[in-house]
Amino acid sequence: MTRLSVKGLTKRFGGLVATDNVSFDVPEKGVTAVIGPNGAGKTTLFNLISGFLPPTDGRIFFDGTDVTGTPPERMAAIGLVRTFQLVQLFPQLTVLENVMIGRHVRTRAGLMSALLSLPAARREESETQSKARALIAHVGLGAQTERLAGVLPYGQQRLLEIARALAAEPRLLLLDEPAAGLNHGETERLGLLIREIADGGTTVLLIEHDMRLVMNTADRIVVLNFGAKIAEGTPAEIERHADVIEAYLGGVAA
Amino acid sequence: MTSLPATIFRELRDPLNLVRHLPTLLAVGLVLYAIVAGGYVVALAGFALIYAVFVTGLNIFMGLGGQASFGHNAFAAISGYTSAVLTTSYGWETLPAMGVGVLGAVTLAVIIGYPTLRLKGHYLAMATLAIGLIVYEIAVQWQSVTQGYTGISGIPPLGIGKWEAASDRAQLIVLSLIVILAMLSAWRIRNSRFGRALVAFSGSEDAARALGIDVARYKLAAFVVSAVYAAIAGSLLVHIVGFVSPEVFGMSMVIAGFTMLYVGGIGAVVGPLVGAVMINLLPETFRGLKEYQDIIYGVALIMILIYAPGGFASMSTLWRGAPSEDDTIARDPGLAVNALEAKP
Amino acid sequence: MIDPTYLGQILVNGISVGCIYGLIGIGFCVIYNASGIVNFAQGAFVMLGGMTAYLLIAKTGLPLLAAGVIATLVVAVLGVALERLVVRPLWDRNATMFVMILATLAAQIVVERAMLLMVGDQPKSIAVFTDLPPIRIGGVAIGYQLLWIIGVSVVLISALNAFFQRTLVGRAMRACAIDREAAALQGINVSGMLALSFALSAGLGAIAGFLVTPTQYTAYNVGTPFAISGFIAAIVGGFGRPLGAFLGGIILGVSQALAVVTFGSGMKNVAALSVLLLFLFFRPTGLLGTAK
Repeated sequence: MTRLSVKGLTKRFGGLVATDNVSFDVPEKGVTAVIGPNGAGKTTLFNLISGFLPPTDGRIFFDGTDVTGTPPERMAAIGLVRTFQLVQLFPQLTVLENVMIGRHVRTRAGLMSALLSLPAARREESETQSKARALIAHVGLGAQTERLAGVLPYGQQRLLEIARALAAEPRLLLLDEPAAGLNHGETERLGLLIREIADGGTTVLLIEHDMRLVMNTADRIVVLNFGAKIAEGTPAEIERHADVIEAYLGGVAA
Repeated sequence: MTSLPATIFRELRDPLNLVRHLPTLLAVGLVLYAIVAGGYVVALAGFALIYAVFVTGLNIFMGLGGQASFGHNAFAAISGYTSAVLTTSYGWETLPAMGVGVLGAVTLAVIIGYPTLRLKGHYLAMATLAIGLIVYEIAVQWQSVTQGYTGISGIPPLGIGKWEAASDRAQLIVLSLIVILAMLSAWRIRNSRFGRALVAFSGSEDAARALGIDVARYKLAAFVVSAVYAAIAGSLLVHIVGFVSPEVFGMSMVIAGFTMLYVGGIGAVVGPLVGAVMINLLPETFRGLKEYQDIIYGVALIMILIYAPGGFASMSTLWRGAPSEDDTIARDPGLAVNALEAKP
Repeated sequence: MIDPTYLGQILVNGISVGCIYGLIGIGFCVIYNASGIVNFAQGAFVMLGGMTAYLLIAKTGLPLLAAGVIATLVVAVLGVALERLVVRPLWDRNATMFVMILATLAAQIVVERAMLLMVGDQPKSIAVFTDLPPIRIGGVAIGYQLLWIIGVSVVLISALNAFFQRTLVGRAMRACAIDREAAALQGINVSGMLALSFALSAGLGAIAGFLVTPTQYTAYNVGTPFAISGFIAAIVGGFGRPLGAFLGGIILGVSQALAVVTFGSGMKNVAALSVLLLFLFFRPTGLLGTAK
């Protein structure tokens, strides 16, 4: 089964082509990674898929439904949640509250039920809290639950952002360079977490620079260069692919 | 789960916290003193309590939602004038008149909020300011209804049915109950799915949208909710004073409101009460400075913005269920006002 | 049918008050371009210009023109004082735009109320500069004060243009407008430019206030409406473009004059504010395309 299908996706900014007729499928099971040198158009691709940018051309299908041009808040509601290359936490809230916000699309309580403190709202609130606590413990931040998100060390902020995204129970999780700024040990643990998420049934689409992380965790890899797809395959195939070696090492080897 | 009484109880058990909450206790104490002692402090305490409601609205829009409005006096004015006109010219009772006034303010907030809240930076600031000024101008010009600068007098006091809060003490007790309700509702909003959504987009609009929060809708909702507080305060004001003129809801109302918000500490549930009591009651120790009032507010606000950007009181724990060591970290609340950072 | 003479009269009046709005609008642009700050106390300068001139004439019996020059200088100094006392400390700690707006708005209120205490709430006026009967062109009366307003505005704008194009300091200010950091690297005293922009902007506001007082009146609270009109002028012209602001001022002045004829004089400010909201909602980049 295909979770996400991108067909002929193109994005132009004025004369610049950021994404050039890119097509690929993300299978329901496992981890798919998008790699490519800086400026290859990876983040633009993510912005298109998650609805932050409208494509100039091409279509996006999510579980068979055409979702091209759907705004991000709708995408989250139908099960596609992303993280950001530069961590975007809510720094003035606690770790717990950050993850509780992640439950937004899975909860319903409105202003009135909160003001009147209706039993249904109270029940939902305590359920939200216990689910959030469980997720926080799961990513290993249990000891930080009541701290403000803004004061956490960078590595923990990354984990928190992932926990918050998971709280929305997405069918497809988009991770934008989750290992950026992490040290060796942290990256390794992150790899395990990503594997666990995928094995739990959530499809993971990953943009990453850290080749070790990609090679260890991804089941499929899509390679972009200058906005266009130049290769696609398993890690083993990609490793041998001439164009990929050229794209990554060309400048150095020459 | 935490409830407000439980939080207050836990906070006050620890003597150290007791010191931290001294401004709050002082503010509550001063209001209680006014109720018991009566006399001239009653009028001032009344003003303080009404402003606490007004500032609570600003606090929700600004402290939680990170948005800025310089025009909330418009909502106070609409509700205040509706109350005044319906009770004096048409013989309505206070409560339904207030209800219609608040409804009018909400209607304006919805209509004007939609296009206004798409703006950012100084455009947003100027648009909200203009809304306040337009309502002020209409109050001046629409003489057949508002009686222009002369204003409307003889507005009946607060009351339900036959009962009227005629005595000063009764008025203060009613106002205190309303303030308690305002604080309780603000606390419930903050600790709810709705309130968290507001804090979320004040922190990062992109992240909020990525998590499924319809930012435009929630911004409008926050605007309308804060307009309700402002409108209630506006009606209370005219019924307590018994008189209304355009000056009552002039731009200095906004400046006074912001001064109180900063003095009390942006983002704290009890901040508006602390700020309003301090600003209204403490200057009374220098009596005879009445005509310097707006100057003092303005200078105080500038000094706070320069030297104590976090406000005097920092009691953010009462916004949340649990206290933590990080609360001592000084943050510039102005930084949360992200709508004013980006240029359109 | 509207009588063409009447229409001509309205246009003339609209253009002259539009020049005033334009000058105030340019005041906004000068500070905005040098620093990115929108000074919400701009109206205080206008009020202070007219009021200081009035006080000088009433208390010391200075001749009109001398009073105007001194008032302009005094207000320019007050502009620098505002910059030093309020804006600079906030600027130094990288305060947000919201805080800056709030602080300058508070300063506006403080100046207004202080003036109320000093001179009371009665409107004040000063004599017209040239006390001659108006010139009549085909039934349209053009008062000498209108000529003064238009003439001084044109001279000021040409002078400003020359200042920004020809002089070293003017060019340095323009460099700050384009890229503050690059300007600082070039050895331009960026913080000095901030003070200078406030002096210039305050002086412009004061001249506008001095010019307009004989045709209307001045009072402690005229500042805010003038500031709003100036801001609208700047918005209509595409914020940050001095010439655009001047054009915007004239457009606003004329449409306001037409609104007065159509809806009565009471709606003058409401009309201006509505123009503002319409522009903000539908065309925030101004008439002349993209804002800076």
